[in-house]
Amino acid sequence: MSTPSPIPPPNDRRSSRASSNAGPPSSNLNVPSEPSDLLVVGGPPSSPSPLALRASNSPSSKRRKSRAAKVPPDVHMLEYVSACDSNLVCLICHSPFDRPVKLPCEHYFCRECVDHAWDAQQEDLRSCPTCRTKVDPQKDLSPVPRIIETMLDELVVKCPNTKTGCDWVDQRVNVHDHVMLYCEYTLVECPSTDCRLPISQKDFHKGCLHSTVSCEHCHASLMKKDLEVGSVMSICPNRSTNCPHCFIELLRLDLKPHVKDVCPMVSIPCSGAIVGCKVTAERIEVEEHEKTCPMATMAPFFREQQARVERSEARLDPLSRKIGILEDGLTNITSMLYPANGNDSSFPVTNPLDPNSSEAFPPASLMPTPDFRLPPASFPPVPQSSDTTQAQPPFDSQVHHLLTLHESLRDEVSRVSNALTELEGRTSMTIMNENQRVKEDMLHTNAAINGMRMQLHWLMSATLQQRSASAAGSSTARAGSSTGPSASGSGTQGASSRASATFRAPIRRLSDSTRQDVKL
Amino acid sequence: MSTGAKKRIMKEYAECAADTPAGMKIIFDEQNMTKWEVLLDGPDQSIYAGGHFKLEITFPNEYPFKPPVVSFKTKIYHPNVSNDDKGSMCLGLLRPDEWKPPNKVVSVLRLIQTLLIEPDIDDSIEPSIANEYKENRKEFDKNAKDWVKRYAK
Repeated sequence: MSTPSPIPPPNDRRSSRASSNAGPPSSNLNVPSEPSDLLVVGGPPSSPSPLALRASNSPSSKRRKSRAAKVPPDVHMLEYVSACDSNLVCLICHSPFDRPVKLPCEHYFCRECVDHAWDAQQEDLRSCPTCRTKVDPQKDLSPVPRIIETMLDELVVKCPNTKTGCDWVDQRVNVHDHVMLYCEYTLVECPSTDCRLPISQKDFHKGCLHSTVSCEHCHASLMKKDLEVGSVMSICPNRSTNCPHCFIELLRLDLKPHVKDVCPMVSIPCSGAIVGCKVTAERIEVEEHEKTCPMATMAPFFREQQARVERSEARLDPLSRKIGILEDGLTNITSMLYPANGNDSSFPVTNPLDPNSSEAFPPASLMPTPDFRLPPASFPPVPQSSDTTQAQPPFDSQVHHLLTLHESLRDEVSRVSNALTELEGRTSMTIMNENQRVKEDMLHTNAAINGMRMQLHWLMSATLQQRSASAAGSSTARAGSSTGPSASGSGTQGASSRASATFRAPIRRLSDSTRQDVKL
Repeated sequence: MSTGAKKRIMKEYAECAADTPAGMKIIFDEQNMTKWEVLLDGPDQSIYAGGHFKLEITFPNEYPFKPPVVSFKTKIYHPNVSNDDKGSMCLGLLRPDEWKPPNKVVSVLRLIQTLLIEPDIDDSIEPSIANEYKENRKEFDKNAKDWVKRYAK
């Protein structure tokens, strides 16, 4: 902090240097209210006229107000004369450190930047923005080594008022003092009591300059303070000035055309430059040269050619855009056409134009075929027609093009209707085939059912016959019932075996006998 | 947005302009410096070669304490870029919990370029595309090239 300042201010015993380094900027604001500072304000030899002193000797309350309006320079906004060592740059704001602090992980940041970073984090989760080591903002911040501060102090910066005219360039450590005390371009509040607009410190003694006046040359109305500023004076178009080349005096207004077309001393290239002549000299000499230069004589012709080429190119552009639009329109129309065809899905459609599906309809064709949309490839004429229409480069007219388009669309529609009729025919064929097959099936089934009926009939009659026979048998057995149970068993054997009934095994079920019969 | 943040964005732009990664062009509007447009050519060694992509980098008000938002304005078939109107890209150092204030935009731009060459499958935003990349690389390449042809010419 005790870096020696290259420009020792007149009364340097004050604490201003220290405050510029470490103290909060606010501490500076009350310093200048001491009367002795008035001399410092006028310190630089250019400004302190008696008038200035008188103006600043107005009542002290006013003075404080005007001084308090000064804004201390923001270190982050300073413009550095030379690139700074990348190690001295804060990783958050990417500017050289301002009041740097050191974290326990040995990472350095501007005090303000690290505070901002922590604002975005949760209260108890503060960490180093670079390595995420946990940090306690109360305890863990430590000052950076002195050498770093010194290096930062010695960085060379421009005055923040550079834009308004100050050309001060010095070490950063001095910038605060410069802006707050010496810089003539620092804005202060207007000395007039009822005006609150800012004004440069150097114009402070001139009284309020915030009234509108009109320029005596060009009659543009502007603020008096702007009129005072040299740069604005040099803008006024009606002020006379000198040509920088031939030193003729003329109005600023006319300077540009003069330099461009008239001034004999301005250096211009030979008019054959577009063809390749490399001569560049003052206008008088060039005029002499052009009389002999073959390229200069050819130049107008070339220029005309060039202009023509440019014109053609310019015309080409809208044409190609037009073609693009037409192409888009065409694709839109075709795409509108295909879905309209494909949406007709009330009955299953196989694409009649697609050679792949032209094999005989499979029997399962009554199930809806999932992919019945016409692939675009099946309409080759459409792209073709679009090609042909575009191939005749100069359309006779829009109408002609539209007519061809219309024609091709009509073709398209007739193709589609043909396809539909063909499709319908095929579908009805399939349905007929299917019907035939079903009929045959039904005939078969009928025959089978008839066979069954015959068989059943035969069986029924056989059983009935048997039953009647056994009934007759049992009645005879019951007649001779003295023979016992064996005789009743033999009754089941049917009429044919009635003679051997007495020798047969006694018990047999009725179902057995019927089964035997069935086998017969 | 604070002046500090603006200043930092200006500095980052100066840095990017001085050292723009190959095949990139940054369009910077001083009136609205929180929105950068980046024109990016598909890297030669990637399947996106020949494509021209438009990216938008948006800096949040809290920048550099919050990450910038990167989005592809040109549709791209890539596992790490969302397949919607936003085309947002969210991974690695761009993730809010991984972002650190010291990170620079240049490194973000470099990351984007690397990702076009080699997608980060484990950190994908489009799982279906990532899957295709892993299991059917040929199909992925074909689709990606197709999209380049369709959207990025």
